[in-house]
Amino acid sequence: MNARIKLENVTKRFGSVHAVEDLTLSLADGEIFGFLGTNGAGKTTTIKMLLGLIAPDSGTIEVLGGDPRKAVTRRRIGFMPETAYYYPFLNVRELLAFYGGLCGMEPKRVKERTEELLVKVGLESAAKRQLRTFSKGMLQRAGIAQALLHDPDLLILDEPLTGLDPLARIHFRDLILELKEAGKTIFFSSHELSEAELICDRVAILKGGACVFNGAVKEIAGDGGDNLERIFLNVLERPAVMEQGGVA
Amino acid sequence: MIFRQFSALIRLSLLDLYRRKDLFVLLVLSLVLLAPLAMIQPFGVTGASRYMNEVAMLLIWIFSIVITLGVTSRLFPPEFESRTIYPLLAKPIGRGTLLFGKYLGALTTSLSALLFFYLLYGMMTGLRQGEWFPPIFMQAFLLHVGFVVLLAAFGLFGSLLVTPSANMTLCGIIVGGMLFYGQRLPALAEVTPVPAKWFVWLSYAIGPHFEFFDMRQRLIHSWSMVRWDACLLTLLYACVYSAACLLLANALLKRKKL
Repeated sequence: MNARIKLENVTKRFGSVHAVEDLTLSLADGEIFGFLGTNGAGKTTTIKMLLGLIAPDSGTIEVLGGDPRKAVTRRRIGFMPETAYYYPFLNVRELLAFYGGLCGMEPKRVKERTEELLVKVGLESAAKRQLRTFSKGMLQRAGIAQALLHDPDLLILDEPLTGLDPLARIHFRDLILELKEAGKTIFFSSHELSEAELICDRVAILKGGACVFNGAVKEIAGDGGDNLERIFLNVLERPAVMEQGGVA
Repeated sequence: MIFRQFSALIRLSLLDLYRRKDLFVLLVLSLVLLAPLAMIQPFGVTGASRYMNEVAMLLIWIFSIVITLGVTSRLFPPEFESRTIYPLLAKPIGRGTLLFGKYLGALTTSLSALLFFYLLYGMMTGLRQGEWFPPIFMQAFLLHVGFVVLLAAFGLFGSLLVTPSANMTLCGIIVGGMLFYGQRLPALAEVTPVPAKWFVWLSYAIGPHFEFFDMRQRLIHSWSMVRWDACLLTLLYACVYSAACLLLANALLKRKKL
């Protein structure tokens, strides 16, 4: 299968801080990939590089076969940020119309997709309210809608479960699995190990900017009853040595 | 695609201004200040009538400077502060397109306000003097548009260097300084000792000449129009200077750390 994301020996430093160190990852077509790690492990920096927002100091990044710093590559990427950074004076319909315009979508198509997505994320009754009145969970749902608006091939979700109540989490999980069925590739960073275990095909664990584990979730479950939480604790307590549980 | 992106950014600027209600405050204020001026009958004294026009024009210039700087100073800093820049740049839009789209948005809002002020002024003087939108009025409006084009680009460049409040203050000082002293800088340079003399000449050479666009005196005193070739040259100056500001702003935006 084609690699949708390919990082080779990627390093990013901010002064003396090693944000990402010699990271090599590859993400196959139609895969759900969990990107795990503690706070400050380098997850968000990696995501910023995947989106072309910052450039790596060394190494190569290929997203959907192209350079993510080029706008044409980002046409097929949907991104949902960790915290809902949207314009508080807009309502959700206006927000989607704005992002649809930035994606170059036809206004008619934007309207159709907006109605579809409002139902899908459960915001149809709040469509006319300004985002400043939204709860955190509602903003997250608006974030999912804007990420899916242009029907991207690859979804990059930064901590998508933050602020979601249990019911919304279940809906979100179903939505992710539905998107996988539709052939989308999903890369998401999370602290939620149980959720990652439920929906991911593969996971990578980051520690101090370096990948210390990269493996298939199925193999973890079949490996002497270990679960992701145990693996997570084990690799974070040990010195940073790459543990290969599956295909890197 | 690029036109849809520009259109989305212009719409965002208009919605921002409309929802923030800042513009309404200025529009209401202008109505409150200008409408009574239109009603005053200065006993047929020509000088008094001109005085009314001068006050009105001064207010229009102050409001247009406040609105243009207020809008352009807020174009980028809040995007970085509230981090709305991340989902924005994750979309298939280049930074240059984003910058120019935001500039167009700022221009649309500032010029809409300017048009409203001039229409109000035109009607006010028309009611009082019986002369509706004379050619000198149209020329003054055109040059004021050039002024806003230049100021918006200058303010946008500044907004990527300093905070919004510092940008408003600095740009305000430069605009005020150029409007009052811009024409006198060469004469000042002649009487200034070296090395300050070179600084004055440098300011004159590279500073934005906002005073070129000020037609208030001609309009108020109904003097003759400026020659059209000079007028077009002034507008060309605004375009070239604005393009230079936008290029510098683009270079700054590309280097901005995310």
